[in-house]
Amino acid sequence: MSKIARVSLPNAVAYRGGQPMIAWLLHRISAIGIVVFVSMHIWAAFFLYAVAGTTGGVAEALTEFYEALPMQVFVLFCILYHAINGLRIVILDMWPSLYRYNREAMWVQWAIFLPLFLLPAALMILGGS
Amino acid sequence: MRVRVKIRRFNPEQDRRPYWATYTVDAEPTDRVLDLLVQIKSYQDGTLTFRRSCAHGVCGSDAVVINGRNRLACKELVQDVGRSIQIEALRGLPVIKDLVVDMEPFFRQYRSILPFLINDEPAPYDERLQSPEARARYDDTTKCILCAACTTSCPSYWASSDYVGPAAIVQAHRFIFDDRDRGAQARLAILAEGTGVWRCHTIYNCTEACPRGIQVTQAIGEVKKAITTGEIR
Repeated sequence: MSKIARVSLPNAVAYRGGQPMIAWLLHRISAIGIVVFVSMHIWAAFFLYAVAGTTGGVAEALTEFYEALPMQVFVLFCILYHAINGLRIVILDMWPSLYRYNREAMWVQWAIFLPLFLLPAALMILGGS
Repeated sequence: MRVRVKIRRFNPEQDRRPYWATYTVDAEPTDRVLDLLVQIKSYQDGTLTFRRSCAHGVCGSDAVVINGRNRLACKELVQDVGRSIQIEALRGLPVIKDLVVDMEPFFRQYRSILPFLINDEPAPYDERLQSPEARARYDDTTKCILCAACTTSCPSYWASSDYVGPAAIVQAHRFIFDDRDRGAQARLAILAEGTGVWRCHTIYNCTEACPRGIQVTQAIGEVKKAITTGEIR
């Protein structure tokens, strides 16, 4: 009789959960970014040394990709955001009475994250240009 | 004022997929969204289907998605949601028709956490007394009306309906922290399983969606801590 219990990705993202939901989405995206970066690093090393002479071109292409400036800035964002947002959640989990102050915790999080991210990112961009 | 109401409609017996139907309604700013639905059903399209019972925010039967957020249609005023209103059925539960969802999966999760007082000790002659302080410990979670607004706003629940969901955890919290109850360990064991509290990723949609203002995420956090430390305080 009844249908449609599954929630599609567009339908899920369309839910207006506000800042904490965006923080959760960014947490997931940054985790994927870190996994992709580390995987590329490992694969590049594998191609360079394990089967040297045959796949050096692949290793070089991978290294060139993750050492490019946009990727480096993206990785910096991923690591810093994931770490600081994760710290907020750990603190809330340790002291559940602080859960009701999440809005304030998120402002503190941005106040710590933005200078920590923007200053090195600016130096990387200006130094790289 | 004239209000444009867009409703996501679906009749599984006729439609292959949901579609949006648009209605224009004359309304007062102080009308509730439920009033608009009643007006549409009464004067424009009698086939529109939705649940309502008390219509005063107590029974929790008219929880729907209004402009992208889970809300009770009987508590949302037109002046607060604007002249263009989009209404959908709750996400994550099977749609029976239009805005009516099958609540059985939700109530099955609710029943799974043993939502009743467990105490086999002989009852006193008059009543099981409780201090005001002990009663205050779980006061927030007694306010739940089982409308499913929290559970169906949770991305973890959308991803897996095996997850017991915020509402069931809130109900478990209400008994776990009740000092007259003796079933806390059994409930904590249920909630420590893979389908329990660890599916919560602190997204806060539940707290934001709760029409009763319950600090749902905090209640889940307190249950997580009770499982981790083994202490109920």
